[in-house]
Amino acid sequence: MSDKQRVSRRQFLNYTLTGVGGFMAAGMLAPMVRFAIDPVLKPSAAGDFQSVASVDEITNEPQRFEWIVEQVDGWYESEVQKTAWVYRTEDDEIVALSPICTHLGCTVDWASQEEYPDQFYCPCHAGRYTKDGVNVPGTPPTAPLPLFDHKVEEGMLYLGQEQDR
Amino acid sequence: MQWTRKDLSLYIKEKEYIDTLIIPLIPFNPASDSNVTKEAFQRELNQLFTHLLEKEYRGRIIVSPEYDYITGSNETEVHRINQWVERFQSQPLSHVFLFTFDPKWKKWEQALKGQLLWVPSMNERDLHSSETKSFVKEQVSQISELIKAYW
Ligand code: FES
Repeated sequence: MSDKQRVSRRQFLNYTLTGVGGFMAAGMLAPMVRFAIDPVLKPSAAGDFQSVASVDEITNEPQRFEWIVEQVDGWYESEVQKTAWVYRTEDDEIVALSPICTHLGCTVDWASQEEYPDQFYCPCHAGRYTKDGVNVPGTPPTAPLPLFDHKVEEGMLYLGQEQDR
Repeated sequence: MQWTRKDLSLYIKEKEYIDTLIIPLIPFNPASDSNVTKEAFQRELNQLFTHLLEKEYRGRIIVSPEYDYITGSNETEVHRINQWVERFQSQPLSHVFLFTFDPKWKKWEQALKGQLLWVPSMNERDLHSSETKSFVKEQVSQISELIKAYW
């Protein structure tokens, strides 16, 4: 019994000391850390457009295009591969859809299911979307696929941020 | 999903949709100069594969913390791996895959409670070259076909 008490007193002291040390360290580090991270916190990447494809490659059939963006995610800066399903509508409008299923985030495919040749299909839980990216009622997703901001300059398609709908 | 606070709190809420787990099995021998770089390369490659699978199927697959062991100790590790697998299965995660480049597991495949996914490794090279990338992508899509066959 007394043995146990002694152990717990020692543990208590240990915790307390670690706590104090921790506070001191945090106090010393905080100003330096803020200084070091500050520049990347500026909203630099937001709203940037990336060239993704030449406009003549875009057909009425959705195609998958990939590009790389720099992403700052809290502590890390990394290169992230982005993907979009891109096609031209009957009215010659360019549509660029995010392939990320709005249910739990798997990547959707175009026309990968024989029964649904003109829909996007999610392999994870059979979620479906019509060609305009709107979720099919009765399947797990509850929102349409996000649309990428886009612009065309000198024959190239540029994509920006994805916008939830 | 990754083994992070954010992803796992979503998992707890959406359990009924997430039934698949990948455990990366990674051998290393820090005492062997002739193998350390090769094994480190295989570890990077393993991380790359699981990352790509996770990215594509994150709504249904969780990637577990990696299982590291000393090269060649496969037989003695079987029991501990099975303990991991049983714990995960009790969640329930009904499809547990053991993903590795270590060919020695083939011999113990029957004793393992998870489904062994052994892929032959490649020689050490730059993981960022476009040639490697397309090779890796091709392999990853084959592995995902295999996983989907269990769904
Ligand atoms: S993640 Fe797409 S249907 Fe569930």
